[in-house]
Amino acid sequence: MQREAWVILIILLLAGAVTYAHITTTTEDYSRHNIGWNGTSNLGLKEVEELPTEGILLIIAPDKPFTSEEAGYLRAFLESGGTLIIADKDGTANPLLEALGSAMRIQPGNLSSLERDHVDPRIFRVHVTGNATIFAGIETLLVNHPAAVRGGEALLETSPLTWDDADGDGRPGDTFGKRVVCAREGNLIVLGDPGLFINAMHNENPEFIGNLQSVLIERTHSRTGTKNPIINTLTWIQETPLAGAALAALAILPVAYHFGRKRE
Amino acid sequence: MRPRASHIILVAAVVLVIAILGIHATAPILYSAENISTDAHADPSTIKKRSPGDAAAVIPLMDELLGETGTLALTIKLKDYENAERDLARYTDLSGRFDRLVITLDASDTDIGEFQQKNRANLDSLATLLDDSRRLDDLKRLEIEVRGDEGQHTAIIYEGEALRQKMRQSFSSYQERETAVTRIAGNYNLDTTPYQESIEDFAEVADAADDWRKKVGGNTPPSPLSITLSPTGGSYGDTIRISGRYTGTPPDTPAEVYVDSRLARSPVFDESGHYTCTYRIGRISAGPHIVYATAGPAYSDVRTFTVFPGNTTLTLALAGVNRTTVACTGTLTTGNRSVANAPIALRVDTTMLVTAETDGNGTYEKEITLPAGEHTIRAEFHGAGFPLNLSESETGTFHVPDDLPSPLPLIAGIAALLGTGWYLRRRQETPDEAPPETPPKPPEEEIESPAIDITGLPPRDAATVLFHLLRARLGLSETKTPRDCAKVAHARFFERYERIRYAGEVPTEEELRWMEDIVRGEDAHAA
Repeated sequence: MQREAWVILIILLLAGAVTYAHITTTTEDYSRHNIGWNGTSNLGLKEVEELPTEGILLIIAPDKPFTSEEAGYLRAFLESGGTLIIADKDGTANPLLEALGSAMRIQPGNLSSLERDHVDPRIFRVHVTGNATIFAGIETLLVNHPAAVRGGEALLETSPLTWDDADGDGRPGDTFGKRVVCAREGNLIVLGDPGLFINAMHNENPEFIGNLQSVLIERTHSRTGTKNPIINTLTWIQETPLAGAALAALAILPVAYHFGRKRE
Repeated sequence: MRPRASHIILVAAVVLVIAILGIHATAPILYSAENISTDAHADPSTIKKRSPGDAAAVIPLMDELLGETGTLALTIKLKDYENAERDLARYTDLSGRFDRLVITLDASDTDIGEFQQKNRANLDSLATLLDDSRRLDDLKRLEIEVRGDEGQHTAIIYEGEALRQKMRQSFSSYQERETAVTRIAGNYNLDTTPYQESIEDFAEVADAADDWRKKVGGNTPPSPLSITLSPTGGSYGDTIRISGRYTGTPPDTPAEVYVDSRLARSPVFDESGHYTCTYRIGRISAGPHIVYATAGPAYSDVRTFTVFPGNTTLTLALAGVNRTTVACTGTLTTGNRSVANAPIALRVDTTMLVTAETDGNGTYEKEITLPAGEHTIRAEFHGAGFPLNLSESETGTFHVPDDLPSPLPLIAGIAALLGTGWYLRRRQETPDEAPPETPPKPPEEEIESPAIDITGLPPRDAATVLFHLLRARLGLSETKTPRDCAKVAHARFFERYERIRYAGEVPTEEELRWMEDIVRGEDAHAA
């Protein structure tokens, strides 16, 4: 009987571990809780809610609008010498760029290239053409379904054999031409490919990931969070000492009560 | 769990595993990635890689082609025909490479495809210019030699005039392409200076023909050979009627009609000096084309007709020939006309190109052998010198099943299965109820039945006496226990005695009689 009890306990523990692993991960794009190819669990960058006064701040694939107050904070951050990198391909960040007084805009589309070594025409190499700390020592980067960036000083440019595959058939369109996928205006950088930060791209661009070590991720608008309520609850508990203590108490009290009664 | 049930489960599991391994032994794909792309991006590690090909060579090649026009036109202008031949050969080679590259990269529908077509026309123009320029030099030399011979001089002047008109038309076409070529070159930041210079050089060569004509033939009477085209334009498959008349007595030989400087027809003159022939528009490029006729020393004026580009329709039907080979058939038509002898490219899986050609009915057929898997096939027509627009068929798919697994793993699996069955069966038979080894039966008859006297003995002692007697009768050692003896013979007797001896059971009178009978050898069936 004893032996059976142990076996059941071990099976329950294993099942519990598997369940925990399952419910605390997600498949959402860019999520730091996503350990799959399209997550950012391996990015290892510090995430901040409060804006720092200096340094490099990264916003990855923002999915909610910025209030004028938030835009004001970011403008102040830029004016105080901080570098802001906005990585977006859907154009969600365009109102923020406008609010920051920038002429740069993200142009959503299906950029595709003939000069590629993958069958998918939207995975191709771009050339570093400008100076920026995050591209230091890099000549080319592999991009993953990027969007074009209009305006500013070009930092990343495609080959001239690039086209916007409007109908998505993967075949060259009417006109080829160089496109910019990353540009800067002062210390504001707009990157048309947030996919550069997902786990699957780390091995493709190791130097780029290496250059990001001092970068902070703005977590309020970045899509690195999750909509999974269980993960969010667990995260809240981890980050709220009082909640953690309460939970520990909830776990310990029944055990203590049980042993107390036994002794009596 | 009962042993039989567990064995059945085990055998079933073994069969299942062997079957799975057998199926995948030759194509060990036990896992294929799922969820490899989202709306935002794709997992590059799961996307098939491909050779970058020569895509990077496209723009440098365009630059070279533009440069070649400048070099070639200059050498023609300088009358350095030996080098011009070499330059033309190189230009032709580069153009061929570029044509193939454009088709391979599936860029025919782009501005690069347009550049390819303009370049091909430029190549034709410059090749013609080389021929015309060389012929003009010959005429200049001949004109000096035959001065004084009015007949020959006039013939040279006629040909010179035809040549002049032809070079003028040719230059006009060459110049027309400047806008488009410069625009496309501008898209790729290409240096168009050599190309611009080639136009200037071309103009100079054409002007030189004009100058010479003015200088030597200003008062030459009109040519006796006239030429008329009807209609002066058409599309692929249309017929142009070319006719004219020789004023005076026509020569005995037929007239010769040239289209783009190539002899196209040789109509004979009728009694009144008229000639007529037709020219069917076939594999010539869209745009203006030069026509003139000659009859002996006489050259007609130069006329032009325009070929209009037509749209085409290309079909594709796939039919399996065998497991790995697919037959691709289809037709190429423009309007209700079929297009004969046209090259067709079959694009397999967007990368591989296989070529075919239409027959006289515009039908093509090609068999392609493919590896296992799902394949897409599309037929494409790229113009290729026809006055026809590009077209492509619908994309068809063809599935080549996986190779049949090698019989070896199946044989090995069956052997393993049989072996397992044999082993399990053997194991099942080994336990307690397995028949005892049967040593050679002691010759009971030869041993005399011992005297039995158990009268008055307590039942258990009587049983012991009977045990000793039977053991002795069987010739077994006295060290053998009842269990040892039971393995040899009379198992029931010895097992009963074992219970009497060690379990303390007391035999009944009837049992003792039965045991006594066995000892006497009278109950052979009881053993």
